[in-house]
Amino acid sequence: TEHHSLHVQEVPGPRRLPEGVGGPEAPPSDPKHGSVLESPDKARAEWGSPMQFVLACVSYAVGLGNVWRFPYLLQMHGGGGFLIPYLIMLFLEGLPLFYLELAIGQKMRLGSIGAWNAISPYLGGVGIASIVTSLYLCLYYNILNAWSFWYLFHSFQSVLPWAVCPLNSNQTGYIEECDTATPTQYFFYRETLNIAPSIEYNGGLHTGQVLCFLLAWAISYLFVVRGVRSTGKVVYFTATFPYLVLFIYLIRGFTLHGAINGILYMVTPKMEELASPQTWINAATQIFFSLGLGFGSLIAFASYNQYNNNFERQAVIVSLINCGTSIFACIVTFSIYGFKATVNYEKCLDKTRLLLLNFFNLAEDTISIDNVLEWIEKLNATYPMEFAQISTKLENCSLERELDTAVEGTGLAFIVYSEAITNMPLSQLWSVLYFIMLLLLGMGSMLGNIMAIITPLQDFKVFSSISLVCLFCMLLGLGFTTPSGNYWITIFNDYGATFSLLFIVLIEVVTVSYIYGIKRFEKDIEDMLGHRPNWYWKLMWMFVSPVLLIALFIFYIINYILGGVPTYQAWNKDTVSYDYSCHVRRISFMFHFVLLFLFISSAKELIFSPIFVC
Amino acid sequence: MIMHREMLGRISLLLCLSAALAQDLCKQDAEHGYKVRLSIKTALGKEAYNWTENEMFLFQSTLAFAMRNHHREHKFEVSNIIVCEETPRVSFWFVVTAPGSNSTLVQRGDVENAIRKSRSRINSVFLLSDETLEFIGIHPTLAAPVTYDSPPWLIAFGVVMGLIVAGIIALFVSSAVQKKRKKQSYEETEDNMWIENGSARDGVRNMAFVEEDKFTPM
Repeated sequence: TEHHSLHVQEVPGPRRLPEGVGGPEAPPSDPKHGSVLESPDKARAEWGSPMQFVLACVSYAVGLGNVWRFPYLLQMHGGGGFLIPYLIMLFLEGLPLFYLELAIGQKMRLGSIGAWNAISPYLGGVGIASIVTSLYLCLYYNILNAWSFWYLFHSFQSVLPWAVCPLNSNQTGYIEECDTATPTQYFFYRETLNIAPSIEYNGGLHTGQVLCFLLAWAISYLFVVRGVRSTGKVVYFTATFPYLVLFIYLIRGFTLHGAINGILYMVTPKMEELASPQTWINAATQIFFSLGLGFGSLIAFASYNQYNNNFERQAVIVSLINCGTSIFACIVTFSIYGFKATVNYEKCLDKTRLLLLNFFNLAEDTISIDNVLEWIEKLNATYPMEFAQISTKLENCSLERELDTAVEGTGLAFIVYSEAITNMPLSQLWSVLYFIMLLLLGMGSMLGNIMAIITPLQDFKVFSSISLVCLFCMLLGLGFTTPSGNYWITIFNDYGATFSLLFIVLIEVVTVSYIYGIKRFEKDIEDMLGHRPNWYWKLMWMFVSPVLLIALFIFYIINYILGGVPTYQAWNKDTVSYDYSCHVRRISFMFHFVLLFLFISSAKELIFSPIFVC
Repeated sequence: MIMHREMLGRISLLLCLSAALAQDLCKQDAEHGYKVRLSIKTALGKEAYNWTENEMFLFQSTLAFAMRNHHREHKFEVSNIIVCEETPRVSFWFVVTAPGSNSTLVQRGDVENAIRKSRSRINSVFLLSDETLEFIGIHPTLAAPVTYDSPPWLIAFGVVMGLIVAGIIALFVSSAVQKKRKKQSYEETEDNMWIENGSARDGVRNMAFVEEDKFTPM
């Protein structure tokens, strides 16, 4: 028989001596598992209440991606129609995999390495791969929080620093770089990042960023240092406050001038987009990454649950909350888009109006914004010669074009949104609220990433000091505060986790369905919950999700190969697109080789493990 | 009598000539002239005033004031500011003649310096700003940026960082205190109490013991 699938009836909890009397606590009667990794003396920490667990999952899953990736995808793939593939993928792929990870964590009561070792010693590498991916994320994710802090602190000024360009040295005009770009772009690329013209360039550290980065790590440390006891209390705030801010922004957004243009643009579906496979692929990947599968965080969180916690209901709740938040954030984003597009459109019309007034010396109130376009026609007809002189200066103002500019990622969060905020009255207040929300979203996800690393390390009592892990990640992460740091972050973001995660989760679901055995898994769940998972879950685990994941995986490989040499956008006086140089390309391959190495290391189990496993 | 008539003729000729000259001096794209554009309705909205002859007179006198401010020794008069090419936009050209001579123009550079010096006074006379009272060719001096002695963001950062560091220190101190207290009370009670579950600490885990009962259903 194998140790892995012991069924243990739950016995009443350990008798604990009253606090302060001293002496170690009695060992709990843990459901036994294959390899006893923790000392029998120490009871495993637990969440204070199931609510803390749910909030922790929500806080982890609802992150920056919901705010800055989903609206972009929605815009690119036909507005409201994108919800159809999104929701379909949620039910085909997101929910079952989420449930799977929670089940594993709660059953094995260990972090990712221990859990996967318990399932099959040949596949312990999956756990290590999860930790490495989480490590990559831990290295650079706090920089995003550092940027949020930087913007937050800079909001406490009478004039927001990204609202106006600074003057040049002799005060005759604005700084040229700022003039050719916009003040918000200048503030982000020059003053926040001090970005280098290419990735080759190495400069010193940006002091402001370093300070904010240290602060971000100090806060992360404070939140995780006491394990689930501290994290459990923190998530009450990090999970709920962003919703409050989103709600406030919803009201503010709806009352903004021109917001309705954005909402209409979002809601009107372009059904022809559904025919393109890219839409479905993007929906699948978005669900996948949005729920944070494969990092080991969910396993870590669930391992602190009570054995009989009803995680099935919680999995459904958290997944639906995550999707709902994406849509909610989308509505807010599109109302802001609509506002910004309308403001820009009207500015364009106003410029045209002034041009006409000044050139033709008409009285001021003859042309208003509403009849600019009519007047263009009129003047073109009556004075064609003169009109031809200024026709080159006339911009073609189009609301559609303003709405069509789709932005994602840091560009959306730190440039587009900041610009919209400068146009609102009381902009400092809105700025503070917005960046606090970004901070909480980022911190919540960061907690999950750190727990994903710390939990298995503590299980194995190897390098288990939380302080050391945080210090290590922080010191390595300082490299991202250099002038070329943003380019490195883009590499990590685009290549560090995407490919490996797909592979990890594919192995996960195939392992549980076929190697561990779906029947055994069913029995484990019955043991924990009291009932077996119904046909929907089993169907997804055994057939649909693996097929989907394989399809995604193949697509990624094809895309990667066909994509040719990877390029990146560099910020220069004129933005230029550069090829990644040779050594950089090698580094991006490194991520994928790490995975391979890990699987090779778990393959050694095959060679060196004892023959008998009963 | 004859002298009177001749003088009258000569004077009127001179006047006509000067008027003609003045017209010649001020024209569109005059070499030493500037175009002025006012956007009163944009600046004042409902409170906008109409541009009348009197307002033009005010403008001429304000400009004469600016010239006097710049050249302290010369006494510029309203008649030294010649205006022409007025449009419904409310834009017009002007040139400045030297006091005492109706035909010599003040150089462009001089006029520009004079205007720059008194720009804010000129603006306030008409309740306008640099953007709404434009002298085409004279760029508005940009407002000096707000400078702080200590950047406000550092202050905010310091506050938050201080709180966090205080929190971390408090956490460590409290855990150290708790440990000390536990140790103390443990030492006190060690002799008296027989800790019931202490045996688990002393015992050895029996790996062979299988706790599953699936083989022996009752």
